[in-house]
Amino acid sequence: MKCEWVRENIVLQVYGELADDARHELEQHVARCADCAAELKAEQEFHALLAQDRAPDPTPNLLAASRMRLQESLETAVQGSFWTRLPFDPAIWLRQVRFSPALASAILILGFAGGVGTTYRIYGAHTATPGSPSTPSQVPAEASITGIRSVTQQPGSNQIDIKYDTVSTQDTSGSINDQRIQQLLLYAARNNYNSGVRMDSVGLLTQKPEDAHFREALMYALQYDSNPGVRFKAMDGLGPYVKDDTAVRDSLLQALVNDANPGVRTEALRLLEPVKADGSVRGVLMTLAAKDSSQYIKSQARTMLAQLPEID
Amino acid sequence: MAGLDRQPSDRRIDDTMLIREAQRGNRGAFEELVRHYDHAVLRLALHLTGTEQDAQDVYQDAFLKAYKNIGSFRFECSFYTWIYRIVTNLCLDHLRKKTVRKEDAPVVKDASGGEFDLLDQVADVRAGANPERDLMRRQLGARISGALERLTPRERMVFELKHYHGLKLRTVGEILHTTEETAKNTLFRATQKLRGALADMR
Repeated sequence: MKCEWVRENIVLQVYGELADDARHELEQHVARCADCAAELKAEQEFHALLAQDRAPDPTPNLLAASRMRLQESLETAVQGSFWTRLPFDPAIWLRQVRFSPALASAILILGFAGGVGTTYRIYGAHTATPGSPSTPSQVPAEASITGIRSVTQQPGSNQIDIKYDTVSTQDTSGSINDQRIQQLLLYAARNNYNSGVRMDSVGLLTQKPEDAHFREALMYALQYDSNPGVRFKAMDGLGPYVKDDTAVRDSLLQALVNDANPGVRTEALRLLEPVKADGSVRGVLMTLAAKDSSQYIKSQARTMLAQLPEID
Repeated sequence: MAGLDRQPSDRRIDDTMLIREAQRGNRGAFEELVRHYDHAVLRLALHLTGTEQDAQDVYQDAFLKAYKNIGSFRFECSFYTWIYRIVTNLCLDHLRKKTVRKEDAPVVKDASGGEFDLLDQVADVRAGANPERDLMRRQLGARISGALERLTPRERMVFELKHYHGLKLRTVGEILHTTEETAKNTLFRATQKLRGALADMR
Protein backbone atom coordinates (compact mmCIF):
# COMPACT_ATOMS: atom_id res chain seq x y z
CA MET A 1 0.00 0.00 0.00
CA LYS A 2 2.76 2.37 0.99
CA CYS A 3 4.77 1.52 -2.13
CA GLU A 4 1.70 2.06 -4.27
CA TRP A 5 1.18 5.52 -2.76
CA VAL A 6 4.85 6.33 -3.34
CA ARG A 7 4.70 5.21 -7.00
CA GLU A 8 1.73 7.46 -7.61
CA ASN A 9 3.43 10.43 -6.02
CA ILE A 10 6.92 10.13 -7.45
CA VAL A 11 5.93 12.12 -10.52
CA LEU A 12 4.61 14.92 -8.28
CA GLN A 13 7.88 14.85 -6.36
CA VAL A 14 9.85 15.22 -9.59
CA TYR A 15 7.70 18.19 -10.63
CA GLY A 16 7.94 19.83 -7.18
CA GLU A 17 4.19 19.51 -6.65
CA LEU A 18 4.25 17.47 -3.47
CA ALA A 19 3.24 19.09 -0.17
CA ASP A 20 6.08 19.34 2.36
CA ASP A 21 4.76 16.63 4.69
CA ALA A 22 4.09 14.21 1.81
CA ARG A 23 7.54 14.91 0.39
CA HIS A 24 9.11 14.10 3.74
CA GLU A 25 7.12 10.87 3.96
CA LEU A 26 8.14 9.91 0.44
CA GLU A 27 11.83 10.61 1.09
CA GLN A 28 11.73 8.56 4.28
CA HIS A 29 10.18 5.63 2.44
CA VAL A 30 12.56 5.81 -0.52
CA ALA A 31 15.53 5.73 1.86
CA ARG A 32 14.31 2.36 3.16
CA CYS A 33 12.77 0.76 0.06
CA ALA A 34 15.14 -0.21 -2.77
CA ASP A 35 12.34 -0.76 -5.32
CA CYS A 36 10.85 2.65 -4.79
CA ALA A 37 14.32 4.24 -4.82
CA ALA A 38 14.93 2.64 -8.23
CA GLU A 39 11.55 3.90 -9.42
CA LEU A 40 12.38 7.43 -8.28
CA LYS A 41 15.71 7.27 -10.08
CA ALA A 42 14.05 6.01 -13.26
CA GLU A 43 11.47 8.82 -13.11
CA GLN A 44 14.22 11.39 -12.57
CA GLU A 45 16.19 10.04 -15.53
CA PHE A 46 13.09 10.13 -17.68
CA HIS A 47 12.44 13.70 -16.59
CA ALA A 48 16.01 14.62 -17.55
CA LEU A 49 15.52 12.99 -20.95
CA LEU A 50 12.35 14.95 -21.59
CA ALA A 51 14.00 18.15 -20.39
CA GLN A 52 16.29 18.00 -23.43
CA ASP A 53 13.27 18.71 -25.60
CA ARG A 54 12.01 22.24 -24.97
CA ALA A 55 8.91 23.89 -26.38
CA PRO A 56 10.29 26.31 -28.97
CA ASP A 57 9.72 30.02 -28.58
CA PRO A 58 7.74 31.57 -31.41
CA THR A 59 9.96 33.55 -33.74
CA PRO A 60 9.66 37.35 -33.61
CA ASN A 61 8.34 37.22 -37.17
CA LEU A 62 5.56 34.84 -36.23
CA LEU A 63 4.62 36.98 -33.23
CA ALA A 64 4.60 40.16 -35.32
CA ALA A 65 2.57 38.52 -38.08
CA SER A 66 0.05 37.18 -35.55
CA ARG A 67 -0.32 40.60 -33.95
CA MET A 68 -0.88 42.27 -37.28
CA ARG A 69 -3.47 39.74 -38.34
CA LEU A 70 -5.28 40.16 -35.02
CA GLN A 71 -5.23 43.95 -35.28
CA GLU A 72 -6.83 43.76 -38.70
CA SER A 73 -9.58 41.51 -37.41
CA LEU A 74 -10.20 43.68 -34.37
CA GLU A 75 -10.98 46.61 -36.67
CA THR A 76 -14.13 44.89 -37.81
CA ALA A 77 -14.87 42.80 -34.71
CA VAL A 78 -17.86 43.77 -32.62
CA GLN A 79 -17.92 43.30 -28.87
CA GLY A 80 -20.83 41.58 -27.14
CA SER A 81 -24.18 43.29 -26.68
CA PHE A 82 -24.59 46.38 -24.53
CA TRP A 83 -25.76 44.37 -21.54
CA THR A 84 -22.92 41.86 -21.63
CA ARG A 85 -20.42 44.72 -21.87
CA LEU A 86 -21.57 46.08 -18.55
CA PRO A 87 -19.40 44.77 -15.72
CA PHE A 88 -22.62 44.74 -13.71
CA ASP A 89 -25.18 42.59 -15.46
CA PRO A 90 -28.76 43.51 -14.45
CA ALA A 91 -30.12 40.24 -15.87
CA ILE A 92 -27.96 38.12 -13.56
CA TRP A 93 -28.70 40.43 -10.69
CA LEU A 94 -32.45 40.15 -11.22
CA ARG A 95 -32.21 36.37 -11.49
CA GLN A 96 -30.41 36.21 -8.16
CA VAL A 97 -32.78 38.62 -6.50
CA ARG A 98 -35.81 36.63 -7.68
CA PHE A 99 -34.67 33.67 -5.60
CA SER A 100 -33.80 35.56 -2.47
CA PRO A 101 -36.68 37.69 -1.20
CA ALA A 102 -34.85 38.62 2.01
CA LEU A 103 -31.92 40.00 0.03
CA ALA A 104 -34.32 41.79 -2.29
CA SER A 105 -36.02 43.51 0.66
CA ALA A 106 -32.66 44.45 2.14
CA ILE A 107 -31.51 45.97 -1.14
CA LEU A 108 -34.80 47.85 -1.46
CA ILE A 109 -34.43 49.31 2.04
CA LEU A 110 -30.81 50.20 1.38
CA GLY A 111 -31.87 51.86 -1.86
CA PHE A 112 -34.36 54.07 -0.03
CA ALA A 113 -31.85 54.92 2.67
CA GLY A 114 -29.19 55.71 0.05
CA GLY A 115 -31.61 57.88 -1.90
CA VAL A 116 -32.59 59.89 1.17
CA GLY A 117 -28.92 60.20 2.22
CA THR A 118 -27.78 61.42 -1.17
CA THR A 119 -30.50 64.06 -1.39
CA TYR A 120 -29.53 65.32 2.04
CA ARG A 121 -25.87 65.45 1.10
CA ILE A 122 -26.39 67.28 -2.16
CA TYR A 123 -28.61 69.83 -0.44
CA GLY A 124 -26.07 70.19 2.39
CA ALA A 125 -23.15 70.64 -0.02
CA HIS A 126 -24.94 73.40 -1.88
CA THR A 127 -25.73 75.37 1.22
CA ALA A 128 -22.38 74.82 2.89
CA THR A 129 -20.07 75.99 0.09
CA PRO A 130 -21.57 79.02 -1.59
CA GLY A 131 -18.22 80.73 -2.14
CA SER A 132 -16.05 77.76 -2.96
CA PRO A 133 -13.81 78.21 -6.01
CA SER A 134 -14.93 76.54 -9.17
CA THR A 135 -13.19 73.18 -9.25
CA PRO A 136 -12.51 71.60 -12.59
CA SER A 137 -12.96 67.93 -13.30
CA GLN A 138 -12.97 65.36 -10.48
CA VAL A 139 -9.77 63.39 -10.05
CA PRO A 140 -10.46 59.82 -11.11
CA ALA A 141 -9.67 56.88 -8.83
CA GLU A 142 -5.96 56.12 -8.63
CA ALA A 143 -6.47 52.90 -10.55
CA SER A 144 -7.60 54.76 -13.67
CA ILE A 145 -4.57 57.07 -13.82
CA THR A 146 -2.11 55.65 -16.31
CA GLY A 147 0.69 58.16 -15.72
CA ILE A 148 1.55 61.72 -14.75
CA ARG A 149 2.90 63.78 -17.64
CA SER A 150 4.22 66.84 -15.90
CA VAL A 151 4.18 68.73 -12.61
CA THR A 152 4.92 72.46 -12.61
CA GLN A 153 4.55 75.22 -10.08
CA GLN A 154 3.61 78.60 -11.43
CA PRO A 155 6.29 81.13 -10.45
CA GLY A 156 5.27 83.51 -7.70
CA SER A 157 2.10 81.65 -6.77
CA ASN A 158 1.13 78.53 -4.92
CA GLN A 159 -0.68 77.09 -7.94
CA ILE A 160 0.54 73.70 -9.09
CA ASP A 161 -0.32 72.43 -12.58
CA ILE A 162 -0.48 68.68 -13.09
CA LYS A 163 -1.06 66.96 -16.42
CA TYR A 164 -2.05 63.34 -16.02
CA ASP A 165 -3.29 60.57 -18.27
CA THR A 166 -6.32 58.48 -17.84
CA VAL A 167 -7.18 57.31 -21.29
CA SER A 168 -6.53 60.78 -22.60
CA THR A 169 -4.32 63.42 -21.03
CA GLN A 170 -6.06 65.66 -18.53
CA ASP A 171 -5.03 68.79 -16.75
CA THR A 172 -5.80 69.96 -13.25
CA SER A 173 -4.51 72.75 -11.07
CA GLY A 174 -4.76 73.91 -7.46
CA SER A 175 -2.70 74.72 -4.40
CA ILE A 176 -0.63 72.22 -2.48
CA ASN A 177 -3.38 72.15 0.16
CA ASP A 178 -5.84 70.93 -2.43
CA GLN A 179 -6.68 67.29 -1.80
CA ARG A 180 -6.79 66.45 -5.52
CA ILE A 181 -3.35 67.93 -6.04
CA GLN A 182 -2.00 66.06 -3.03
CA GLN A 183 -3.42 62.78 -4.28
CA LEU A 184 -1.82 63.25 -7.72
CA LEU A 185 1.53 64.36 -6.26
CA LEU A 186 1.69 61.28 -4.05
CA TYR A 187 0.80 59.09 -7.01
CA ALA A 188 3.41 60.73 -9.25
CA ALA A 189 6.15 60.45 -6.63
CA ARG A 190 5.67 56.72 -6.39
CA ASN A 191 4.50 55.54 -9.76
CA ASN A 192 5.63 57.67 -12.65
CA TYR A 193 8.01 56.31 -15.26
CA ASN A 194 9.46 59.68 -16.01
CA SER A 195 12.07 60.50 -13.40
CA GLY A 196 11.82 64.23 -14.18
CA VAL A 197 8.17 64.18 -13.11
CA ARG A 198 9.05 62.18 -9.98
CA MET A 199 11.71 64.76 -9.22
CA ASP A 200 9.22 67.64 -9.56
CA SER A 201 6.64 65.87 -7.43
CA VAL A 202 9.12 64.97 -4.71
CA GLY A 203 10.39 68.55 -4.80
CA LEU A 204 6.85 69.82 -4.13
CA LEU A 205 6.29 67.23 -1.42
CA THR A 206 9.33 68.58 0.43
CA GLN A 207 7.48 71.90 0.75
CA LYS A 208 5.06 70.34 3.20
CA PRO A 209 6.88 67.57 5.04
CA GLU A 210 4.77 68.15 8.14
CA ASP A 211 2.06 66.11 6.39
CA ALA A 212 2.54 62.48 7.45
CA HIS A 213 1.51 61.16 4.01
CA PHE A 214 4.00 63.44 2.30
CA ARG A 215 6.77 62.37 4.64
CA GLU A 216 5.91 58.74 4.02
CA ALA A 217 6.09 59.31 0.26
CA LEU A 218 9.48 61.01 0.70
CA MET A 219 10.80 58.04 2.68
CA TYR A 220 9.46 55.71 0.00
CA ALA A 221 11.24 57.75 -2.68
CA LEU A 222 14.48 57.74 -0.68
CA GLN A 223 14.37 54.02 -0.31
CA TYR A 224 13.04 52.83 -3.65
CA ASP A 225 13.42 55.48 -6.34
CA SER A 226 15.79 54.38 -9.08
CA ASN A 227 17.03 57.93 -9.73
CA PRO A 228 19.69 59.23 -7.29
CA GLY A 229 18.60 62.84 -7.95
CA VAL A 230 15.08 62.02 -6.72
CA ARG A 231 16.47 60.22 -3.68
CA PHE A 232 18.70 63.20 -2.94
CA LYS A 233 15.78 65.59 -3.26
CA ALA A 234 13.63 63.47 -0.94
CA MET A 235 16.20 63.96 1.81
CA ASP A 236 15.69 67.76 1.66
CA GLY A 237 12.24 67.35 3.15
CA LEU A 238 13.23 64.65 5.61
CA GLY A 239 16.26 66.37 7.18
CA PRO A 240 14.37 68.55 9.70
CA TYR A 241 12.54 65.49 11.08
CA VAL A 242 15.57 63.40 11.86
CA LYS A 243 15.35 64.27 15.55
CA ASP A 244 11.64 63.76 16.13
CA ASP A 245 10.62 61.01 13.73
CA THR A 246 12.35 57.66 14.23
CA ALA A 247 10.99 56.37 10.92
CA VAL A 248 12.78 59.22 9.15
CA ARG A 249 15.96 58.45 11.08
CA ASP A 250 15.73 54.78 10.12
CA SER A 251 15.18 55.54 6.46
CA LEU A 252 18.19 57.90 6.43
CA LEU A 253 20.27 55.20 8.13
CA GLN A 254 19.11 52.74 5.51
CA ALA A 255 20.17 55.15 2.75
CA LEU A 256 23.51 55.70 4.50
CA VAL A 257 24.23 51.99 4.62
CA ASN A 258 22.63 50.68 1.44
CA ASP A 259 22.39 53.44 -1.14
CA ALA A 260 24.45 52.81 -4.25
CA ASN A 261 25.18 56.48 -4.79
CA PRO A 262 28.03 58.02 -2.75
CA GLY A 263 26.47 61.51 -2.91
CA VAL A 264 23.23 60.26 -1.38
CA ARG A 265 25.18 58.45 1.33
CA THR A 266 27.25 61.52 2.16
CA GLU A 267 24.14 63.67 2.41
CA ALA A 268 22.46 61.08 4.65
CA LEU A 269 25.52 61.10 6.88
CA ARG A 270 25.42 64.89 7.08
CA LEU A 271 21.71 64.90 7.97
CA LEU A 272 22.24 62.32 10.69
CA GLU A 273 24.90 64.45 12.35
CA PRO A 274 22.51 66.05 14.91
CA VAL A 275 21.45 62.59 16.16
CA LYS A 276 24.86 60.91 16.10
CA ALA A 277 24.56 60.13 19.82
CA ASP A 278 21.47 58.00 19.20
CA GLY A 279 22.13 54.28 19.80
CA SER A 280 21.16 53.06 16.32
CA VAL A 281 23.11 55.85 14.58
CA ARG A 282 26.16 55.24 16.75
CA GLY A 283 26.03 51.52 15.88
CA VAL A 284 25.92 52.25 12.16
CA LEU A 285 28.72 54.83 12.45
CA MET A 286 30.94 52.30 14.18
CA THR A 287 30.37 49.76 11.43
CA LEU A 288 31.08 52.35 8.74
CA ALA A 289 34.19 53.62 10.52
CA ALA A 290 35.51 50.07 10.70
CA LYS A 291 34.89 48.75 7.23
CA ASP A 292 33.19 51.03 4.73
CA SER A 293 34.33 50.80 1.14
CA SER A 294 34.39 54.59 0.77
CA GLN A 295 37.37 56.27 2.38
CA TYR A 296 35.48 59.52 2.76
CA ILE A 297 32.51 57.94 4.60
CA LYS A 298 34.90 55.96 6.75
CA SER A 299 36.83 59.04 7.86
CA GLN A 300 33.65 61.13 8.35
CA ALA A 301 32.15 58.39 10.52
CA ARG A 302 35.36 58.27 12.59
CA THR A 303 35.33 62.04 13.04
CA MET A 304 31.70 61.98 14.17
CA LEU A 305 32.38 59.15 16.60
CA ALA A 306 35.41 60.95 18.01
CA GLN A 307 33.20 63.94 18.84
CA LEU A 308 30.88 61.79 20.92
CA PRO A 309 31.29 61.48 24.66
CA GLU A 310 32.40 58.02 25.78
CA ILE A 311 29.67 55.66 26.92
CA ASP A 312 30.16 54.28 30.43
CA MET B 1 9.50 51.99 -7.55
CA ALA B 2 9.23 53.34 -11.00
CA GLY B 3 10.90 51.43 -13.77
CA LEU B 4 10.55 48.39 -15.91
CA ASP B 5 10.95 45.78 -13.18
CA ARG B 6 7.28 45.77 -12.30
CA GLN B 7 5.97 43.64 -9.44
CA PRO B 8 3.23 41.07 -10.17
CA SER B 9 0.79 43.13 -8.11
CA ASP B 10 1.52 46.16 -10.35
CA ARG B 11 0.84 43.99 -13.35
CA ARG B 12 -2.48 42.95 -11.81
CA ILE B 13 -3.47 46.56 -11.23
CA ASP B 14 -2.45 47.34 -14.79
CA ASP B 15 -4.47 44.44 -16.11
CA THR B 16 -7.53 45.37 -14.07
CA MET B 17 -7.39 48.86 -15.48
CA LEU B 18 -6.91 47.63 -19.02
CA ILE B 19 -9.72 45.10 -18.69
CA ARG B 20 -12.12 47.77 -17.46
CA GLU B 21 -11.15 50.04 -20.34
CA ALA B 22 -11.50 47.18 -22.81
CA GLN B 23 -14.93 46.42 -21.34
CA ARG B 24 -15.90 50.01 -22.14
CA GLY B 25 -14.93 49.31 -25.74
CA ASN B 26 -11.41 50.76 -25.74
CA ARG B 27 -9.58 48.71 -28.38
CA GLY B 28 -6.17 50.19 -27.53
CA ALA B 29 -6.49 48.91 -23.97
CA PHE B 30 -7.38 45.47 -25.25
CA GLU B 31 -4.39 45.42 -27.60
CA GLU B 32 -2.15 46.34 -24.68
CA LEU B 33 -3.64 43.48 -22.71
CA VAL B 34 -2.96 41.15 -25.64
CA ARG B 35 0.70 42.12 -25.59
CA HIS B 36 0.94 41.08 -21.93
CA TYR B 37 -0.08 37.53 -22.76
CA ASP B 38 0.36 36.80 -26.43
CA HIS B 39 3.90 35.46 -26.36
CA ALA B 40 2.94 32.76 -23.85
CA VAL B 41 -0.26 32.00 -25.75
CA LEU B 42 1.56 31.65 -29.06
CA ARG B 43 4.23 29.41 -27.54
CA LEU B 44 1.58 27.11 -26.11
CA ALA B 45 -0.36 27.00 -29.37
CA LEU B 46 2.79 26.44 -31.40
CA HIS B 47 3.92 23.45 -29.38
CA LEU B 48 0.46 21.92 -29.14
CA THR B 49 -0.55 22.31 -32.76
CA GLY B 50 2.91 21.72 -34.20
CA THR B 51 2.64 24.19 -37.08
CA GLU B 52 2.98 27.95 -37.28
CA GLN B 53 -0.16 28.23 -39.39
CA ASP B 54 -2.32 26.38 -36.85
CA ALA B 55 -0.69 28.25 -33.97
CA GLN B 56 -1.55 31.54 -35.64
CA ASP B 57 -5.14 30.41 -36.13
CA VAL B 58 -5.47 29.48 -32.45
CA TYR B 59 -3.90 32.81 -31.43
CA GLN B 60 -6.28 34.72 -33.68
CA ASP B 61 -9.40 32.84 -32.56
CA ALA B 62 -8.46 33.05 -28.88
CA PHE B 63 -7.93 36.79 -28.74
CA LEU B 64 -10.92 37.55 -30.97
CA LYS B 65 -13.07 35.45 -28.68
CA ALA B 66 -11.60 37.24 -25.66
CA TYR B 67 -12.34 40.62 -27.27
CA LYS B 68 -15.92 39.72 -28.05
CA ASN B 69 -16.55 38.28 -24.59
CA ILE B 70 -14.53 40.56 -22.38
CA GLY B 71 -17.78 42.18 -21.25
CA SER B 72 -18.68 38.96 -19.49
CA PHE B 73 -15.33 38.77 -17.64
CA ARG B 74 -16.27 39.40 -14.01
CA PHE B 75 -12.92 39.15 -12.23
CA GLU B 76 -13.94 35.86 -10.60
CA CYS B 77 -10.61 34.43 -11.72
CA SER B 78 -7.45 36.12 -12.96
CA PHE B 79 -7.32 37.27 -16.56
CA TYR B 80 -4.38 34.87 -16.96
CA THR B 81 -6.59 31.90 -16.08
CA TRP B 82 -9.41 33.23 -18.25
CA ILE B 83 -7.30 33.68 -21.38
CA TYR B 84 -5.58 30.31 -20.85
CA ARG B 85 -9.02 28.74 -20.54
CA ILE B 86 -9.99 30.10 -23.95
CA VAL B 87 -6.71 29.04 -25.54
CA THR B 88 -6.71 25.54 -24.05
CA ASN B 89 -10.30 24.98 -25.18
CA LEU B 90 -9.37 25.93 -28.73
CA CYS B 91 -6.27 23.75 -28.59
CA LEU B 92 -8.27 20.82 -27.21
CA ASP B 93 -10.68 21.17 -30.15
CA HIS B 94 -7.70 21.23 -32.46
CA LEU B 95 -6.18 18.12 -30.86
CA ARG B 96 -9.48 16.26 -31.07
CA LYS B 97 -9.84 17.08 -34.76
CA LYS B 98 -6.23 16.08 -35.31
CA THR B 99 -6.86 12.69 -33.71
CA VAL B 100 -9.68 12.10 -36.17
CA ARG B 101 -7.59 13.27 -39.14
CA LYS B 102 -4.62 11.18 -38.12
CA GLU B 103 -5.45 8.29 -40.45
CA ASP B 104 -4.63 10.52 -43.41
CA ALA B 105 -1.27 11.64 -42.03
CA PRO B 106 1.92 10.67 -43.85
CA VAL B 107 2.96 8.13 -41.23
CA VAL B 108 5.22 5.18 -42.04
CA LYS B 109 6.80 2.47 -39.95
CA ASP B 110 10.51 2.46 -39.23
CA ALA B 111 12.79 -0.57 -39.04
CA SER B 112 11.84 -1.39 -35.44
CA GLY B 113 8.13 -1.21 -36.26
CA GLY B 114 7.55 2.15 -34.50
CA GLU B 115 5.54 4.79 -36.33
CA PHE B 116 7.03 8.13 -37.24
CA ASP B 117 5.71 11.14 -39.09
CA LEU B 118 7.36 11.84 -42.43
CA LEU B 119 7.06 15.57 -41.79
CA ASP B 120 9.34 15.20 -38.76
CA GLN B 121 12.09 14.04 -41.07
CA VAL B 122 12.18 17.28 -43.04
CA ALA B 123 15.57 18.89 -42.43
CA ASP B 124 15.69 21.87 -40.13
CA VAL B 125 17.44 24.68 -42.02
CA ARG B 126 18.44 26.38 -38.75
CA ALA B 127 20.86 23.54 -37.97
CA GLY B 128 23.74 24.77 -35.86
CA ALA B 129 27.45 24.01 -35.76
CA ASN B 130 27.16 20.42 -34.51
CA PRO B 131 25.14 18.42 -37.05
CA GLU B 132 25.43 15.16 -35.14
CA ARG B 133 24.03 16.62 -31.95
CA ASP B 134 21.34 18.43 -33.92
CA LEU B 135 20.36 15.21 -35.57
CA MET B 136 20.13 13.43 -32.21
CA ARG B 137 18.11 16.24 -30.73
CA ARG B 138 15.78 16.21 -33.72
CA GLN B 139 15.32 12.48 -33.44
CA LEU B 140 14.60 12.79 -29.73
CA GLY B 141 12.15 15.62 -30.40
CA ALA B 142 10.42 13.54 -33.08
CA ARG B 143 10.11 10.53 -30.78
CA ILE B 144 8.73 12.67 -27.95
CA SER B 145 6.27 14.37 -30.31
CA GLY B 146 5.11 10.97 -31.48
CA ALA B 147 4.63 9.78 -27.91
CA LEU B 148 2.78 12.98 -26.96
CA GLU B 149 0.38 12.48 -29.83
CA ARG B 150 -0.65 9.15 -28.41
CA LEU B 151 -1.94 10.77 -25.24
CA THR B 152 -5.59 11.74 -24.99
CA PRO B 153 -6.13 15.45 -25.68
CA ARG B 154 -6.74 16.13 -21.99
CA GLU B 155 -3.66 14.20 -20.83
CA ARG B 156 -1.66 16.02 -23.44
CA MET B 157 -2.94 19.37 -22.24
CA VAL B 158 -2.18 18.73 -18.57
CA PHE B 159 1.29 17.46 -19.44
CA GLU B 160 1.92 20.39 -21.75
CA LEU B 161 0.91 23.02 -19.20
CA LYS B 162 2.90 21.36 -16.42
CA HIS B 163 6.00 20.13 -18.19
CA TYR B 164 6.60 22.65 -20.95
CA HIS B 165 5.03 25.72 -19.41
CA GLY B 166 5.74 25.12 -15.73
CA LEU B 167 2.25 25.98 -14.46
CA LYS B 168 1.21 24.81 -10.99
CA LEU B 169 -1.23 21.90 -11.08
CA ARG B 170 -3.70 24.00 -9.12
CA THR B 171 -3.70 26.56 -11.92
CA VAL B 172 -3.94 23.79 -14.50
CA GLY B 173 -7.02 22.50 -12.66
CA GLU B 174 -8.60 25.96 -12.67
CA ILE B 175 -7.89 26.44 -16.35
CA LEU B 176 -9.38 23.08 -17.29
CA HIS B 177 -12.38 23.48 -14.96
CA THR B 178 -11.36 20.57 -12.81
CA THR B 179 -9.77 19.88 -9.43
CA GLU B 180 -6.08 19.85 -8.59
CA GLU B 181 -6.50 16.17 -7.64
CA THR B 182 -7.81 15.28 -11.10
CA ALA B 183 -4.97 17.23 -12.69
CA LYS B 184 -2.50 15.24 -10.57
CA ASN B 185 -4.04 11.93 -11.64
CA THR B 186 -4.03 12.99 -15.27
CA LEU B 187 -0.37 14.00 -15.06
CA PHE B 188 0.44 10.62 -13.51
CA ARG B 189 -1.34 8.76 -16.33
CA ALA B 190 0.31 10.90 -18.98
CA THR B 191 3.85 10.34 -17.66
CA GLN B 192 3.22 6.60 -17.29
CA LYS B 193 2.15 6.41 -20.95
CA LEU B 194 5.10 8.51 -22.08
CA ARG B 195 7.58 6.40 -20.13
CA GLY B 196 6.10 3.30 -21.73
CA ALA B 197 6.30 4.78 -25.22
CA LEU B 198 9.86 6.05 -24.78
CA ALA B 199 11.20 3.14 -22.72
CA ASP B 200 13.88 2.28 -25.30
CA MET B 201 15.29 5.79 -25.31
CA ARG B 202 16.87 5.50 -21.86
